[in-house]
Amino acid sequence: MYEEENIEPDFLKRPKTNPFRTPDYYFESLEDRVMGNIEYQTKKENSSTRIIRLLKPALGLAASFLLVYLLVYYPINTFLLKDTAKTAVTDTTTADWLNDYSINLTSVDEDVIVNAIFSEDTTNLSETNPDEFLAYLSTGLNDVEIYSEIQN
Amino acid sequence: MTNDQQIVDSLKDPATKELAFRHLISKYKERLYWHIRKIVLNHDDTDDVLQNTFIKIWNGLDSFRAESSLFTWLYRIATNESITFLNQRKRKNISSLTDENQYLIDNLEGDSYFDGDEWQMLLQKAVATLPDKQRLVFNMKYFDEIKYEEMSEILETSVGALKASYHHAVKKVEEFVKSHETRIEP
Repeated sequence: MYEEENIEPDFLKRPKTNPFRTPDYYFESLEDRVMGNIEYQTKKENSSTRIIRLLKPALGLAASFLLVYLLVYYPINTFLLKDTAKTAVTDTTTADWLNDYSINLTSVDEDVIVNAIFSEDTTNLSETNPDEFLAYLSTGLNDVEIYSEIQN
Repeated sequence: MTNDQQIVDSLKDPATKELAFRHLISKYKERLYWHIRKIVLNHDDTDDVLQNTFIKIWNGLDSFRAESSLFTWLYRIATNESITFLNQRKRKNISSLTDENQYLIDNLEGDSYFDGDEWQMLLQKAVATLPDKQRLVFNMKYFDEIKYEEMSEILETSVGALKASYHHAVKKVEEFVKSHETRIEP
């Protein structure tokens, strides 16, 4: 059906001429240009391969650091810092407590302190029961230790 | 070193590879150039595609298994490179599908290395309006006078399908020429 004999339009009978042309001497230097391009491509590929080869140790090192960070530093930060935070809260509480109970010496009159130290008033001591003294001093001692203290 | 088998054998030997490749270029450069030129039409584009074709051939030498002839293998690479190039250009330049072949016609009209008369310009424009496959078959059969069997190996299409494509292409070219020929002064 599609054999050439069946299709012979007029234009097919016209003589075939090539209407295209090339620049002068185009084909003469083609081999050199092609080989030059191949050399350029090879160099380009080699240089990109070399860059990758040079970067490989650095990338490996960076990956190692990242791995160490993920395996060691991150868990430490995540789990141990919670305890540190708790301690920090405790410390703050202690500091507040100390502030509350410490004596503000600037607000105390010096004369009152001097009188309290050098005062000859011993009424408070004389009024104290000796048994209460002994009970206070023997706090934390067992019977044997109390006996040995009395003997000495 | 003019025999294809000699060239292929020398290409396999690293010591003679480069020299053999130069022989290959010398032997096929003009045939491949004109094959590509008829597809892309413009000289500058043809030069780009031809350079890429030879680079592809050089890079693919190890994959050449000699199951097909060297000539068929080279033509197939050149054809694929040309079609890929045209598709890339079309994607960049075309705003609608109806303009698809207008790119080729513009390429033809803008080519300073076209010396044909009005009739030849008309024939080239008619061929440029064909779909890619029909255009390829028409060029290879009409201009290059390649046998269907050989064309079948290059384009990896059955002989029957190629004959059908050529038949449709000739009809379309004839219609285009008839509808435009009256405008050409005798």
